[in-house]
Amino acid sequence: MVAQPILQVNQLSKSFTPPAMLWQGVSFSLAAHESIAICGQSGSGKSTLLFALGGLEPVQSGTIEFNGQRIVAGRYRYTPGISYVFQHYHLIQELTVAENIFMATRLNPSAASPDPSYTETLFSTLGLKPLLNGTPSRLSGGEQQRVAIARALITQPKLLLADEPTGSLDEATGAQVMALLLQICATVQTGLILVTHNATFAQQTNRQFELKDGHLYEKN
Amino acid sequence: MKKRTWILYLAFRYLFPQKRFGTFFTWISTAGILAGVTLLTVVLSIMNGFDENIAQKLIQINGPIKILSPALMPDSDSFKKSLKKAAYVKAVTPFAQGITLLQHFNRVAFPKCIGFDPHSVQQVLPLQQFVEQGNLADLSKGAFVSAALAKEFDFHIGDTVDLYSPMSLEAIKQEELILPQEVPIVGIFKTGWADIDRDTLLLPLPLLQELYGLGNQVHGYSVEVDRKHIQEACTALNAILPPSLTAYTWHTLNKDFLYILRMEKAMCFFVLLFVVMVAAFSMSSGLMTTVIRKQREIALLQTLGATQWDIALIFSVQSMLLGALGTVLGFLCAYGVLSYRNTIVHLLTGWFLPENALWDFYSVETLPVAYSLQDFAAITFFAILVTFGASLFPVIHLKRLPIMQHLRGE
Repeated sequence: MVAQPILQVNQLSKSFTPPAMLWQGVSFSLAAHESIAICGQSGSGKSTLLFALGGLEPVQSGTIEFNGQRIVAGRYRYTPGISYVFQHYHLIQELTVAENIFMATRLNPSAASPDPSYTETLFSTLGLKPLLNGTPSRLSGGEQQRVAIARALITQPKLLLADEPTGSLDEATGAQVMALLLQICATVQTGLILVTHNATFAQQTNRQFELKDGHLYEKN
Repeated sequence: MKKRTWILYLAFRYLFPQKRFGTFFTWISTAGILAGVTLLTVVLSIMNGFDENIAQKLIQINGPIKILSPALMPDSDSFKKSLKKAAYVKAVTPFAQGITLLQHFNRVAFPKCIGFDPHSVQQVLPLQQFVEQGNLADLSKGAFVSAALAKEFDFHIGDTVDLYSPMSLEAIKQEELILPQEVPIVGIFKTGWADIDRDTLLLPLPLLQELYGLGNQVHGYSVEVDRKHIQEACTALNAILPPSLTAYTWHTLNKDFLYILRMEKAMCFFVLLFVVMVAAFSMSSGLMTTVIRKQREIALLQTLGATQWDIALIFSVQSMLLGALGTVLGFLCAYGVLSYRNTIVHLLTGWFLPENALWDFYSVETLPVAYSLQDFAAITFFAILVTFGASLFPVIHLKRLPIMQHLRGE
């Protein structure tokens, strides 16, 4: 049985002013619980594409549908069910680790209180339990990214958009974080779109795409 | 925790991060508001103190109600009895006033003279408390001179002065001669009211009636009433007085002066509010820096479900929290300053002025102070309003920032 796609992207095009095409005709779909990686050289527009998928970046043409709902790219309105992990962790230094994580459930009016067993699984998988009462400034880069992943997943999103989540980490820590990210997405059954330079990390996802010369190609 | 509560909590945490006692921005902004509120509270409370002192003096010198008429009025027991029957009236005392020529050896002056009935005056006017030398009970035997006049002429109890009646001028026209009244000085008084203290004589009423040829008539009555019902007593008196006579409250008689005092206070409030506004501008600048510095966090909050209004609320609430904190601390600081006001003034005048110069000039032993809930409410309202206003510019600017771009890794 083929899983229903949660994300459907059709003929998406993006250009800058003065007219310079970044990418065009980008089409793909993502099934629920599926993970894909988008690779490409610096400047190829990977992050721009990821941001466009979440509605954070305007596009010239094409459509994006998430869960049957049309996303208007560039006119950002919060879409329940989509979460983000960024290269920089963007943790709020004035709050504790726990407050940073649960902030997502507080700010999202449609998010139900997280199931304790789900929270338990999330925290134990990411190894966050001993860190919850501390402040972000005392955490290492790897720990901070784990907190950012927990913050993104605490609302049990259907789709996680991850932009170079290991970009600020050393290789060993990056590998650990990436392994955890893929594991936790599989565990909590969240779809993942990963933008990365790292071919090794990309290989660990279900499907791999490459953005090259303004087009998105799926690798076999 | 509901979303709005969380927004408020987040605003609070931006000012007071976990495991830290506030940030530099928190305390420097609070200090600005604190300074403005302290200054406003101290100045207004001292002005209130002076206003209360002035009001108290006006009542002590004139009585809470005066009955006046363009014409003379009778000084009869039956008239006084009829006045006492009015609601809230406790006592009445007649008075007459005018200017005489005073001569002491080869020096002359034209002091104001007020004639009081020595037997009833103390029931209405607490003049004894203004007496520096002598006893008011001796008023029937001679004159009390005001302190400045006594100093100018070097008067002492037992000295005598000659008082010439204005009637003498009329007598001279008739080629008659009225001899001056030789009046002994029986006391010296000081009210603290410069206009009175400069050159005033308190005389027994019969003497002034004789000097002015009033017979058994007076210029008016001072009336003591229940202080909580001054206006009602005035209305009751006017209801029984003949049309030629009118009762006035001390407030009505000094309406213009009291208006000036209120105006002065309002202007002080207006001018000193600028101190709070300067502090608010500084806070606005600090908030703007915070907005710029936290663009990534702001963008992140939006990806987590916060609306632009929520973000605006975070910064507006921060601003108002700082305003509220500065106001509360400002009130406490003002209370501390006012508690030690006399020590502070004493030190300052000790350094810059001759000893007691300030006291001599203002005629007060201690700096008066009176707290007003109305002032506290106005200061609180304006301080928070101004600090809220300070948040508007950063918040409006925030909406124009392309903050989503800051989420990108590059």
